[in-house]
Amino acid sequence: MISRLLIQNLAPIDAGDGNTFARRRKLSLAFVGIGILALLLFGGLTTPGFLTLDNLLVIVRAASITGIVAVGMSYITISGNLFALSAEELAVLAACIFAYFMGAGFDVVSSVMITLVAAVVFGSIQGVVISRGADPIITSLAFGALFQGLASVVSGNKQMLLGSNAAEWLGTGRPLGIPMQSWAFVILALIGWVVLKKTRYGRKILLMGANKNTAQATGLNRTLVVIVAMSVFGLCCALVGISGAAQFSRATATMFPGLNIDVVAAILVGGIALQGGRGSPLQAAFGAVFIALLQNYMLLHAFTSGQRMMVIGALVVASTLGYHYLQGKR
Amino acid sequence: MHRSDLLRMTSVKKSYGSLVALKGVDFNLREGEVMALLGENGAGKSTLVKLIAGLAQPDSGSIEIGGRSVKLRSPQHSLEAGIAYVSQELSIVPSLTVAENICLGGHVHGPFWTDRRLAAKVKPYLELVGLGDVDPSSFAGGLSVAKQQLVEIARMLSRNAKILILDEPTAALSDVEIEKVLGVVKKLASEGRSVIYVTHRLGEVFEIADRVTIFRNGSSFDPVEVATLDIEQLITSMLGRRLNEMFPPRATELGKPILSLRNLRVAGMESPVNMEVKRGEILGFAGQLGCGANAVIRAIAGLNPVLDGSIAMDGKTVNHRDPGAAIELGIAYCSDDRKKDGIFAGRNLVENLTSTNLNRISPGGVISAAREKATAEQLAQQFNIRIDRLQSLAGNLSGGNQQKVALGKWIGISPSILLVEEPTRGVDVGARAEIYRHLRVLTEKGLAVIMCSSDNQEVLGLSDTVVTFFRGKIVRQCEAEAIDLPALMRDVTHPETNSPGVAA
Amino acid sequence: MSRREIFMDVMFRTGLMILVYVGFALFIPSYYSVRGVAALLDGAVVIGLTGLGIGVTMLAAEFDLSVGSLAALIGVVTLNFINGAEVGMVTAIVLGVVIAGVFGAAQGLVIAITGINSLVFTIGSLIGLRGLALFMSGENTVNIPVQRLEETDFLSASVLGIFSIPSLVMIGAFVLVAAFLRYTVWGKEVLAIGGGRTEARAAGVSIKRAMVVAFAISGALAGLAGAISCVKLGSATPLGFDTLLLSAVTACLIGGIALEGGRGTVTGIFVGLLTLRFLVGGVSGLGAPFWMQNLAVGSLLIVVIVAQLSVRQLKSRHDAPALPVH
Repeated sequence: MISRLLIQNLAPIDAGDGNTFARRRKLSLAFVGIGILALLLFGGLTTPGFLTLDNLLVIVRAASITGIVAVGMSYITISGNLFALSAEELAVLAACIFAYFMGAGFDVVSSVMITLVAAVVFGSIQGVVISRGADPIITSLAFGALFQGLASVVSGNKQMLLGSNAAEWLGTGRPLGIPMQSWAFVILALIGWVVLKKTRYGRKILLMGANKNTAQATGLNRTLVVIVAMSVFGLCCALVGISGAAQFSRATATMFPGLNIDVVAAILVGGIALQGGRGSPLQAAFGAVFIALLQNYMLLHAFTSGQRMMVIGALVVASTLGYHYLQGKR
Repeated sequence: MHRSDLLRMTSVKKSYGSLVALKGVDFNLREGEVMALLGENGAGKSTLVKLIAGLAQPDSGSIEIGGRSVKLRSPQHSLEAGIAYVSQELSIVPSLTVAENICLGGHVHGPFWTDRRLAAKVKPYLELVGLGDVDPSSFAGGLSVAKQQLVEIARMLSRNAKILILDEPTAALSDVEIEKVLGVVKKLASEGRSVIYVTHRLGEVFEIADRVTIFRNGSSFDPVEVATLDIEQLITSMLGRRLNEMFPPRATELGKPILSLRNLRVAGMESPVNMEVKRGEILGFAGQLGCGANAVIRAIAGLNPVLDGSIAMDGKTVNHRDPGAAIELGIAYCSDDRKKDGIFAGRNLVENLTSTNLNRISPGGVISAAREKATAEQLAQQFNIRIDRLQSLAGNLSGGNQQKVALGKWIGISPSILLVEEPTRGVDVGARAEIYRHLRVLTEKGLAVIMCSSDNQEVLGLSDTVVTFFRGKIVRQCEAEAIDLPALMRDVTHPETNSPGVAA
Repeated sequence: MSRREIFMDVMFRTGLMILVYVGFALFIPSYYSVRGVAALLDGAVVIGLTGLGIGVTMLAAEFDLSVGSLAALIGVVTLNFINGAEVGMVTAIVLGVVIAGVFGAAQGLVIAITGINSLVFTIGSLIGLRGLALFMSGENTVNIPVQRLEETDFLSASVLGIFSIPSLVMIGAFVLVAAFLRYTVWGKEVLAIGGGRTEARAAGVSIKRAMVVAFAISGALAGLAGAISCVKLGSATPLGFDTLLLSAVTACLIGGIALEGGRGTVTGIFVGLLTLRFLVGGVSGLGAPFWMQNLAVGSLLIVVIVAQLSVRQLKSRHDAPALPVH
């Protein structure tokens, strides 16, 4: 499929000087880190109210929604399958399912469990199709439309009230003064990182992304790897959906506008290598934080939403180009 | 009859890194002749051809065309100088028509193409290559490989090429098709074009070439008139001497049979295959590109479907259909393209070496750093890979080390059969001996190795048993001691002149 | 594929299209009327133009995700020309299309030079162009002033009963692009890099030029879709055309454009477009709410993707012994 084809067409990894290569790899992470620090410093110096605890919490919370999904999506990218453009729709669908069961009188735990299971199923169905060789972006685009439609069906395209406030703490709770979503974001990013680097499954993702052919020749099961990656992605979307529905005590079929784009931007700005086999969920997390910082900075400086979007678009193009050359022609 | 030299190359040198491909080669080509280039793999003939085609530039030395000194910096340059290169890889777009393919990439056909106009333009060129009966408006993808190759030649002729380079054009063709291509080559030469013809098939040389230039170890001999040559002479000059110490001693004693093929039919082989491999044996398949040896190996590896017949391991028929199942059975496979499916170029050696054996290094799903390190170091030691390089990326290693990694990763699962295609392709001479030794050590531990190679000396030197292939047929199966190099070479290049079983 | 097979393929898809049409016509009376067909055709213009553009990039084995944002931007830009520079409607549309084409060409050039996956690169432009549309419109819907609205009436008038100016423009675009791909060198080069990138490069085709051409066409057509529909409506919203990409891809895939590139015909895209249009028009004609359309398109696209995969798998199993072995 097209994206596969293109990946194959990209120049093979240069067998040149090993040290440069290794150094360049580390650079990606350092780049976002430096970007974040620079932005913090610059913003702090030029913008009153930027470096306050309250504002930083706002930023972290803003980064969390994108970040949770980006961490999930990073597995897809690292396994060599680019992106899934169904994050927004899956999160919306999860929110609607959650609201539906809450509204039907189920308790919080069962509603959450049902929603998570449903999201994993929805995620893995996409995984089955993609692992058979379908183009991940087009496939997820189609599934996104399906999920959006299902969300409208579940909600009757109306606002759904949760019926009780029993789940509110899931969306608005602040253990130790930090929002729930941010806890989830940080914990997921760390778990995602540890799983990728330290477990058998994580190793399979890396190897599959590094070279699909060798992976298959060594007996790794591509279908399983892709399905699990897509399920993790579905799970992350569901968490975002549930927390969103819980936060506002309601769900609608238009809840997370622009989430797909934000998540993909986080991956690209985080510098995860698009041909797969390299990178970590932390890069996606850093990318999400960087974008949230930038958005916040622009908001404080009264940029219009159009201007903000242009800046983000330019940033995405620039980082795509930048990492492309940095990582040696991916 | 001394016609003028159209192309002359003088003391041309070319090296790739530490590998010297051409050590000061002289070469000349006359107008209207077919010059065959012969030599073993790595002897330097493809490098020379690439220099002429503008795909690579010489380090030193001069190239003259028609008496004028030229620098051929790009394929475009070469084309302008009247040189056309038809490589082994086709450049025919299957979804375009024959006529469109001929005109594609040229600059003289005008911006508007209609079937009729193009057909009129390409017709003479199609006739030149003997494809007068092919409809120029039919899709190129529907033609046989041979005809596609002829279309490529027609494209080159339409660009006014004076010198045609054909790089093993017949490797993937059947006998009838080969006749067709050879006929066209002869005809083109008789019309005054010069042809450089790279081949492994000695028979073709006698059939069409006027002169032969033989390459050996990066040097060339003076061109010889084919009329004055005989096949024995040709073989002797191609071979030269290679160090026999390169190869480890053969097995002294073979174990029980482990794998047997019964009337096995696979795509790419014309006749059914029957053979047996014993523990501790290295079985070597010799043959050139398209001979069918790979097809047999890939069928055993579960990559190519078995059309008929059976594969049995330890006497039990096995029926695996994919590499995963083959691995379960203890069949490991290293393809001839390491970069494609032998190594993970972007990951380090530890991860490469343990990739086949993830379960052992990750008890309970969590990777144990200690086990990972131990496994990788053990394999590295066995294969003489420096421990301090374990952290570097596989893609950054030399060809030889990459091959050691590609092989080494299998040893972790203790396979009973190791299938290897072209074990030393792209590996420099020093590292070759080491890889041979490793393969031998493995068989001494009871493993059976089946390898195929287009390097005849390698097959003969390393194997206990040799099977020779020619165009989808097995020419002979015998103990390596019972055949010598010239005989083997005849088997794989020109078996017709060879009465079976007679070693020269 | 031989010519005959390609013909049979298009015939098969046409049969499917007729089936869909007849199926819905049984239940929806307006499907019989000239006016009903005219409405169906007119409603296909935006998806048709965009789908045609995407189809060209797909034939070149590339992909342009930015078409929706580009259509929105060009809609806004065109209306800005009309409002600000007071130019005529047609002039404004032409200016919009030219800008879109130039942008597309530039995008194609960058993708060709850098070798970045076009799916990835166009995600960046998808975001940026949407931002630019918001910026150019001041984040509001841009409207043509009431006193000039009658100048746009020509776009809504019917021509020969079943056509309108926009649907004629669309049909004209299909004919032009088909002729371009069929009869010009540049068109053949676009097909060549899609049908065999390495082979085309080896034959001496300029990948750069072919990419520029493909993306310029896709940009110009997306711009044309945005400009025409916004002028016709008399207003442009910067957030419009957000589901355009999905429908356009679906039309192409139903029409037999292969995702792996190089296979498909312009006729096929047209047939796919009408099939999609009949289906979506039918679903809403049967009284389903508007959001069911998205569900229908998404499900249809999934079915097409899975069907293509199955066909490919069957084929590869069938063709396996014919693989060259070496």
